[in-house]
Amino acid sequence: MNTTTVSGLAAPRDGRALATGWPARIAIAGILALVILPLLPVGSFVLSIGTTAFITAIAAASLHLLIRTGHVSMGHAAFMGIGAYASVLVTMKLQLPFAAGLVAAFVAPAILALLIGPLVLRLAGKYFVLVTFLFGEIVRMVFVEWTTLTGGANGIPGVPPPHPRLLDPQAYYYFALGFAIVLIGFIARLLSSEIGRSIDAIREGENLAECSGVPVLRVKVCIFALSCGIVGIAGALQGHFIRYIDPTSFSMVQSLNLVVVNVIGGMYALVGPIIGTAFFMITPELLRDYVELQRVIFGIIIIVVIAFFPGGLVEIAQRRADALRGKRKVGP
Amino acid sequence: MLSPIVLVQIVVNGVGLAAIYILVALGFTLLFGIMRVVNFAHGAFAMLGGYALYYLYSIYDVPYLVAAPVAALFVAAAALVLERFVYRRFYQKMFQSMIALLGLDMAIASTALIIWDSHERSIKPAVSDILQLGGIIVPADKLVIVAVAAIALAAFYLFTHFTRAGLAMRAAAQDVETAEAQGIDTRVTYQLSFFIAIFMAALAGGFYGQTYALSPFMGERPLMMAFIVVILGGMGSIPGVALGGLLLGLGESFLSTFYGSSVSVFVSFGAVILLLVFRPWGLLGTPEK
Amino acid sequence: MDLRFGNFGFRAMRSLLAVSLTGAGLALATAPAVAQEELKIGAIAALSGGGTAWGLGLQRGVQLALDEANEAGGLKIGGKTYKLKLVVFDDQYNAAQAKVVADRLVTQEKAGFIFGPVGSPGALGSLPVTQPAKVLQFVEGYAPAILKNEWNAAYVFRISNSNREFAEPIVKWVKAKMPTVKKIGMIAPNDATGQAAVPILVEAYKKQGYEVWVDYYERGSKEFTPLLVRMLAQNVDLFELNSNAPGEAGLLLKQARQVGFKGPILQSGGSGVDEIIEVAGPLAEGFLKYDVIDNSLPAVSTLLKAYNKKYSGVFNGTSPIYYNAAHILLEAIRRADSLDTTKVRDELEKLGGYNAPIFGRVIWTGKQEYGNDHQLFHAFIIKEVKQGKGVVRDVVSSP
Repeated sequence: MNTTTVSGLAAPRDGRALATGWPARIAIAGILALVILPLLPVGSFVLSIGTTAFITAIAAASLHLLIRTGHVSMGHAAFMGIGAYASVLVTMKLQLPFAAGLVAAFVAPAILALLIGPLVLRLAGKYFVLVTFLFGEIVRMVFVEWTTLTGGANGIPGVPPPHPRLLDPQAYYYFALGFAIVLIGFIARLLSSEIGRSIDAIREGENLAECSGVPVLRVKVCIFALSCGIVGIAGALQGHFIRYIDPTSFSMVQSLNLVVVNVIGGMYALVGPIIGTAFFMITPELLRDYVELQRVIFGIIIIVVIAFFPGGLVEIAQRRADALRGKRKVGP
Repeated sequence: MLSPIVLVQIVVNGVGLAAIYILVALGFTLLFGIMRVVNFAHGAFAMLGGYALYYLYSIYDVPYLVAAPVAALFVAAAALVLERFVYRRFYQKMFQSMIALLGLDMAIASTALIIWDSHERSIKPAVSDILQLGGIIVPADKLVIVAVAAIALAAFYLFTHFTRAGLAMRAAAQDVETAEAQGIDTRVTYQLSFFIAIFMAALAGGFYGQTYALSPFMGERPLMMAFIVVILGGMGSIPGVALGGLLLGLGESFLSTFYGSSVSVFVSFGAVILLLVFRPWGLLGTPEK
Repeated sequence: MDLRFGNFGFRAMRSLLAVSLTGAGLALATAPAVAQEELKIGAIAALSGGGTAWGLGLQRGVQLALDEANEAGGLKIGGKTYKLKLVVFDDQYNAAQAKVVADRLVTQEKAGFIFGPVGSPGALGSLPVTQPAKVLQFVEGYAPAILKNEWNAAYVFRISNSNREFAEPIVKWVKAKMPTVKKIGMIAPNDATGQAAVPILVEAYKKQGYEVWVDYYERGSKEFTPLLVRMLAQNVDLFELNSNAPGEAGLLLKQARQVGFKGPILQSGGSGVDEIIEVAGPLAEGFLKYDVIDNSLPAVSTLLKAYNKKYSGVFNGTSPIYYNAAHILLEAIRRADSLDTTKVRDELEKLGGYNAPIFGRVIWTGKQEYGNDHQLFHAFIIKEVKQGKGVVRDVVSSP
């Protein structure tokens, strides 16, 4: 068994099949649908759910970037929180514009990741899971304890919107959609570049990658910092959207949610976290008449998906596609 | 305030804490050591153990010495269904097991919420005396837990070193394929390990619910503590659980008494992180290649 | 892998997916079809996670009040009769989720009146949704920002005493009844409630010349013995359980007696003495507690009966607060004879003197503290545990 990475993380054959070809067309169609959606009479609740979904998708995709190196973080929401607090403090305490807050939201968690990365990324995947789990809890406690800066457990109310016009739900919807397209597009580009191939090589076998001249630790630290910076931006978008930040929004539960989104959607391709996010946002809507049963059903769905489709919901689509193709030509 | 009496009291309190941690963590480390399963539903079984004891002892008045083990046996036996349909699919898959069992935990705790409501109940105490030994105060219920934890540790050790089934468990933990080649039925061995682990979780949950309180979400804290104890001692190591539990219990008692609770949590988490960075396999675990 | 199961799972997932897609389609396609006679009342309540007990208490308190109105033939407004329907969503005791559900209640369910969420984080997360939408919200978190905010609390009311209202009277009561007490010890949760409530209580004690020792613990702790040993070394005379949740308060009480604390133990805050007695058992004897309901009142015993008929479990202290508030809202709607939230709000403000079922005559205060009179002021009780039951020891009515 491969012990250098989290066991079972190694991608199955043609894992990236969905990242090219016809999926690109689906992606464009999906984006178009999302652009048109607010023009339909859907009400601002759907827009609000949509905005939340875009922010979650950014966060989940940033975690996906890290997972591709073979490291699953259970403290990602902590970095999201650092971004949110950085941006809120820069805009509220220093009275700087939102753009400056956004920069802080990226830089603050990225710097922290650069500092701890060289230490914790030496660890094999399973120990990395444990370290990030504890680290996330420590960060959350800092939010709670450092009351003079963070407002403690009561958080910071009255966060200004990025721009007065973004008080309108529709405007914020497009704002968040724009960020999601740019950031997820960037991650997709990165993963299909030379660096992306280095990342995959690292996940499949660090020693081999090292031998073929990939500076393993340096690549991992950079990806970790990038991943934490992007999730920091997601945190800022969330803080200025909800207009209130507090430690409960960035706790272990949220970190676990991000992992679950990735696992349910599929960990081997970037579409995974996006499908996972959609699933994560839509399921509670479908089950909303069963408020009490919701969590039970959700728990069972998680078990079923992981037991039968280790590749997540993406795998279901893939099997369907394979089955369709199989009808036409018989291949290996 | 650093009188000898206070110091002894702190040690006594620390050992009391350690005993609870050890009891919860034993089953957790067993599941990991043998099947490589990170049982995020461990707290849920502890909770079920608590409710089982509640019904047997508080409602139906079964004598305590019978009620405590029978409650745990009942939960462990019922859990074998989950072994067949859920756990078995995740053996030797550390990461997948972690997430899937998180889902199981969610499902069990939410079901418990529907059945038993959210309010906290208490299981009537089996012993409520408070012993005073020269100024040192020992609640008798803590003493019971310390005794049970010590017995459980000793039993575990004897079982895994001197019985056929126990040796088979250790062999399977070291190398599944070789063990099977030697004629060990891993399926049965796994089932047995699972049964023992859940039995321990449920037993610990009974004590936990009795010492503190019973509610559908009461398992979260024991799970977290078990997780940390096991990381500290070394995933899969039984002596590691003893050492990790003692260190964490005594550390918490000392730090909380002298510096308050926040400092205690920061220091213990920080220490475990440092340990993980420099010795990821824990104090008494063995490094994997 | 077992093939049969593989197939079963695959089919199950497929049909689930199909259901999700059609469901999503339906959700988008159909406009909310509101039955003419149904009036949706919203509630945001923690139904999972840390605040579940309070969330259920909220849901049940409001539900019981609505049941009464429905049984009496519904709510008559402008010649129409409405059947009241409670629509509850779970905020998981978390601000971000509270915003999402508030949005859903406001824009999808078209609820004009919302009860909850319990606790400050959820309340502060949902206000930016409800206030601009002119939706009336009834909450009970302790954070001052709930009433003191950019909207000047235009459409939000706090429906039970916050710490600001009861801290001083209770400290004066201690001073009058327990003259030998000089030093107070507190162990408080390091969460939104603890951080908002404890400084106010400490200030009130200090103002009366007491010395106060405080320590905080992380939410989720169950073993307080080390902290209690720390407290004992400080020679405190009175152990104050402040705003601890019932479970933790019960454990603190039990463990304080176990480590040998002999002085009086009092809780200024929190809710529900029954749960505390349940957890602390016989060691609860003599415990003093701030409470808002007097079980001997006929209105309360009627409510308790209705509660036990419909639900199982301990009668949660949150229920009567929301039950009371629901009655206040229904009365204001009747007087406004309209569902226009601004008109109802104006009637609410003028409701002084209406005799609400649990807290009696409605008094709104808060102008001095928050800049608006949206804080319900009500008398409170100090209960003492005698032979395992909380009995009323004193009624404190003036600030």
